[in-house]
Amino acid sequence: MMRWTKALLATAIVTQGAFAQEKSITIWWAQWDPAVALQELGDEFADETGIAVEVQQIPWPSYQDQVFLNFGNKQTDFDIVIGDSQWIGRGATKGLYLELTDWLPTAIDMSSIHPRAARYLCEYPPGSSKFFAAPCETDAIGFVYRKDWFEDADEKAAFKAKYGRDLMAPETWEEFRDIAEFFQRPAERRYGCSLLTGRGYDSIVMGFQPFLWSWGGSWGDQQTFEVQGHLNSAGAVAGLEFFKGLMPFTPEGGTNADYYFNLEAFSNGSTAMVLDYFPFYPGIVTSMGEQVDFFKVPSHDGRRFISLGGQGFSISKKTTPEKQALAKQFIAWFSQTKIQEQWITYPGSFTANTELLSSEAFAAASPYNTTFAESLDHLRDFWNVPVYNELMAAAVRHLGAALDGTVASVDALNALAEEHEMIMMEAGLLEVE
Amino acid sequence: MNQTPGRRRDWMQWGFVGPALLLLVAMNVFPLIYSILLSFTNADLVGGEWKFIGGLNYTFVFKFAKYGQALRTSALFVFSAVAIELFVGFALALALADRFRGKTLVLTALLVPMMLPQAVIALFWKLVLNGNYGILNQVLGGLGLGQPQWITDPDLKLMSIVLIDVWMWTPFMMLISLAALNAIPGYIYEAAAIDRASRWRVFRRITLPMCAPLLGLAVLLRATDALKQFDLVMAITGPNDPATQTLSALLYQAVFRDGKVGLGTAYSYVVLVLVIALASVFLRYMDSLQAEDEQVAR
Repeated sequence: MMRWTKALLATAIVTQGAFAQEKSITIWWAQWDPAVALQELGDEFADETGIAVEVQQIPWPSYQDQVFLNFGNKQTDFDIVIGDSQWIGRGATKGLYLELTDWLPTAIDMSSIHPRAARYLCEYPPGSSKFFAAPCETDAIGFVYRKDWFEDADEKAAFKAKYGRDLMAPETWEEFRDIAEFFQRPAERRYGCSLLTGRGYDSIVMGFQPFLWSWGGSWGDQQTFEVQGHLNSAGAVAGLEFFKGLMPFTPEGGTNADYYFNLEAFSNGSTAMVLDYFPFYPGIVTSMGEQVDFFKVPSHDGRRFISLGGQGFSISKKTTPEKQALAKQFIAWFSQTKIQEQWITYPGSFTANTELLSSEAFAAASPYNTTFAESLDHLRDFWNVPVYNELMAAAVRHLGAALDGTVASVDALNALAEEHEMIMMEAGLLEVE
Repeated sequence: MNQTPGRRRDWMQWGFVGPALLLLVAMNVFPLIYSILLSFTNADLVGGEWKFIGGLNYTFVFKFAKYGQALRTSALFVFSAVAIELFVGFALALALADRFRGKTLVLTALLVPMMLPQAVIALFWKLVLNGNYGILNQVLGGLGLGQPQWITDPDLKLMSIVLIDVWMWTPFMMLISLAALNAIPGYIYEAAAIDRASRWRVFRRITLPMCAPLLGLAVLLRATDALKQFDLVMAITGPNDPATQTLSALLYQAVFRDGKVGLGTAYSYVVLVLVIALASVFLRYMDSLQAEDEQVAR
């Protein structure tokens, strides 16, 4: 009898183990604070539903490569990937992302999602109401600045004497330039600003975009995919020239500054104003506290455009239908307002829920949240067509050459426009002449 | 029906050779033919439908400036790195050719860089060369000198990578040069001394020509290796920096980042043809050197 009981018990344990293993989902995301927060929420979800959630974090520099290499397999190692906004075209058209058009509006009240987040993070093609992702981390670039320097009485007086106006967070790029120039004192190891100019992945593109759009240029026609006349327009060239004109006010190496360079430039106390994505700021707030404050990307001639960041939940088409169902269950759970209320309390975690974005609780949660919420209405994104990466790589090369001074701005943009059109033609988006 | 001994021997021969042959076909011949096929398609790394697009990939290789640029960057890298390594390596070998106390220790120390993994070396040098907190600029700063941005300045990036490669692979050239120097019979030098030949003449007429075949081989080995340069570029500037984008870096960018398997393989074949042509010219030159040597010996 005892032997039978033992055997039954063992069978029960094994069966339970098998069930537990079956009821689990794996999420891939980049290595940063919001991923840690997602794991914590995932654990709560597991407690509520019995479905285990594992968030696997991959370092940013190799995140994209690893995800798409994994998509090359018959079955992916993840059930959900939290992919960059630009990836959605490739995911949607190459059979990688599960289409969520019918399901998403039943699980989430889409009217509660910020329209820019819905357009750029969830839809492909943008504005088509065809969904391939649900909002996870809504993001934007914004400035952090040394409030203590700006409030210093001597600095304020000196600035007023030189520029004839008060020293305060800039509203326009022209004001920004003056402040950067004012604080540029290399002999004291003090620098005016650090913008996004890195060549590793997309930072130079994200850094250039506000200038491109605010000066009246664009990446191209979103319907016809024509690039000539948009990317190399007089406005685009003027924007690039202005961007380039700020380089003398950056620290050494400031013409090749990525997200981490900027964090370092600010954390080491040398730079007055630094541009980065908001989720990178919690560490700065913790370490520098009252010394810092935030402002949104400035405008030019009344036009303010800000590079969108952030990622959406996409379900892998290369996982089992059972796992896809569990993934949907998790996404629906995560998107509930009560969970979103919890989500925004974690460092660097941002929501797309408009009600929460305008709430006092959100504004009070961190010193940069108000600036972040105000930034969302000005968001725009890079191309998210399937060949986005080739377009990005070409942009990095040509913009980099312009910033390095090896090519004139106008020539760099002409060459870039030509290459972008060739890539569009090769991809079949633009007719071959 | 009995098999004749000859036929059985044939079967046995095939039995021994067969597995290796099959492996060779599966691992070398098939991928080669398959990749030629792929170069005429729009195949994507992540899978999905692909179709034949004729020679369009080859057209793009010649149309996009970046492919020619990567070829030029690789050529510049190979030429400058291998030339410096050859010169410094041979000079070191000449200095270390004679016996002296502690020679083994010096040789071992010099060989260390060559034994370390390239990726580790790249990360280590990335720290050393960092414009803000790198030890090199700290030292230069301490001496009141400038702060060159070794890995971000477009004029210095490639040079920095060349210098790292030189640091790593000069010992290899030194080793081969030492072997070549040791292989020269002592009586030739004795004869030259009897003839009162000057040191320069001895070097010009004996040392250099007799070392040439081995040095040529070393250059060939290093050049083919340098042509594949990837690790240092990847770790220091990334695969998409036009100033340092070598052939391998561009191929990585095209295939693994853009997912363009067809375009990537087309480019590989264009490069392969070029490399084969260059290698043939070099090998012919080496053959002519050897023929000259044999003539002198006769």
